[in-house]
Amino acid sequence: MMLSHGSEGGYELAHVLLEGLKFRYQRTIVHRLDPRVKLLLTLTLFVIALMSSNIYDEALTFTAILIPASLAKSIRRLLRLLVYSLAFSAFIFIINYIFTHSLFSSSIVTVRFLGIVASTSMFFMTTSPDEVEYVLRWFRLPRDFVFAFATSIRFVPVLMMDLTQIIDAQKSRGLELDKGGPIKRIRNLVPVLIPLVVNALVRSSELAEAMEARGYGATEKPTSMYSLKMTKVDYLAVAIILTAAALLLSLFLHVV
Amino acid sequence: MSRATVEFRDFSFTYAGMKIPAVRGINFSVEEGSIALLAGASGSGKSTILRSINGLIPHIYPGEYKGDVFVDGQSVIETETFELARKIGFLFQNPENQIFMFTVERDVAFGLENLGYEPKEIKKKVEWALKLLGISDLAKRSPSELSDGQKQRVALAGSLVMDPKIIVLDEPTSLLDPKTAQEVVHLVEDLKRTLGLTVILVEHRLELVSAIADKIIILNKGEVFAEGKPDQILAKDNLHEAGLSIPPIIELQKRLGLVDSDAVAMDVDDFLQRFVQKWQL
Ligand SMILES: Nc1ncnc2c1ncn2[C@@H]1O[C@H](COP(=O)(O)OP(=O)(O)OP(=O)(O)O)[C@@H](O)[C@H]1O
Ligand SMILES: [Mg+2]
Repeated sequence: MMLSHGSEGGYELAHVLLEGLKFRYQRTIVHRLDPRVKLLLTLTLFVIALMSSNIYDEALTFTAILIPASLAKSIRRLLRLLVYSLAFSAFIFIINYIFTHSLFSSSIVTVRFLGIVASTSMFFMTTSPDEVEYVLRWFRLPRDFVFAFATSIRFVPVLMMDLTQIIDAQKSRGLELDKGGPIKRIRNLVPVLIPLVVNALVRSSELAEAMEARGYGATEKPTSMYSLKMTKVDYLAVAIILTAAALLLSLFLHVV
Repeated sequence: MSRATVEFRDFSFTYAGMKIPAVRGINFSVEEGSIALLAGASGSGKSTILRSINGLIPHIYPGEYKGDVFVDGQSVIETETFELARKIGFLFQNPENQIFMFTVERDVAFGLENLGYEPKEIKKKVEWALKLLGISDLAKRSPSELSDGQKQRVALAGSLVMDPKIIVLDEPTSLLDPKTAQEVVHLVEDLKRTLGLTVILVEHRLELVSAIADKIIILNKGEVFAEGKPDQILAKDNLHEAGLSIPPIIELQKRLGLVDSDAVAMDVDDFLQRFVQKWQL
């Protein structure tokens, strides 16, 4: 990407985060699990991260996150994402310290935050948008909602491309994005935003036409080429996840 | 005997909120199994005509509707859009805006899923359509990582999978490089021949598609400016009035006095033959 300096830093950061969370197709045992199992895994890790309240808990939580992450060959991506969330963690740490004056409890809260980031991003890193759509359908959410969700995800890269092209075009006509004071800088964005919105509107009206031409909404009950099916491995994974979760939570709550 | 698959009778349409009609007094028909080329300057009403065929006009676009449009003998205004969707495949200029799903095969399946086909049947038909367009190896790929030509094929597969009788293409080649554009044009001709499709194609680069067209309809400011066989149309000397540029090979024949009242050569071999005959070389 050609954008790298000045006020475009925000854009760059957004881009890196999107890249970091973006699904990449890999054939690992975790990627191949049923998406519902991956959702269960993520939710379980999320609860564990949320419930951990001391150093030992945190250590166990991160171990619990690292095991599936390493099976998914995604440790490096996970670490990169955590590095990017450090700025925000510092913010959380400072706010906490102001209120509690305890370095220790502020650290715990901050590490807990990182655990939550890591656990939720596991889902996005191992589940394709396609699979997310299947899960939403499986929950029997309204078709229009699922479709709108899927389309908006599908069009993120398309709109990013539009944005890059518009910025390039406007720059070649003499627009300087990073000139002037804060007000001027915001005003500079207008010649970028207007074509972007117009473009998106044109796209959406063409999309609506294409949907119609392909029979969207023709029946109450549209069918699906594939449907989700649990395999033996999936059931095994569910058993392992639930057992591990029960074990960890009872340790956290000092039941055993 | 051939019969008309698409027929316009005294058709006029004014988009809601507009003062002048986008198209008016339209009369023409397209025979079953033929290729009709719709040409004309920007704003001449080509897309409006196409929308009137697949029912977007008047079912989605409101406005003042006069006259009749018949598709396969049925009046469009009295037919639901999804019923028309079964009969008419549609391909737009920008394939990006008609691909919805995250994998090629699922996108091709989209129309069938909407119409409620059984999964087994969907898989069979999708496989067939992918093979027909030579993109079976792309089945599991994400559409966003394909080339423009490949995307256009995916979109075409998504239309053809519904087994339409008619296929309507709105400037399908304008975003493609010349070689890929030529490929798409030949692909359309092949498909027409193997599947017996009726094709209605919008394109302003006459030289690109005249050779495969059975009929050319030229629109100018919302009216039919000329209609006829390709060589009749190309032999006319007032095409620039409709904002069209004349292919160089035709212009050359005109300058050389090789054009009889209604016949021109459209490729180099044909041209040379006429040239040799005329000058008795
Ligand atoms: N949705 C709309 N609402 C109002 N007016 C429209 C709409 N779409 C097209 N028009 C008008 O109808 C006329 C014909 O437009 P149409 O899009 O059919 O032309 P076209 O031949 O397809 O042009 P192009 O080559 O630019 O695609 C134009 O004057 C246009 O401004
Ligand atoms: Mg048009």
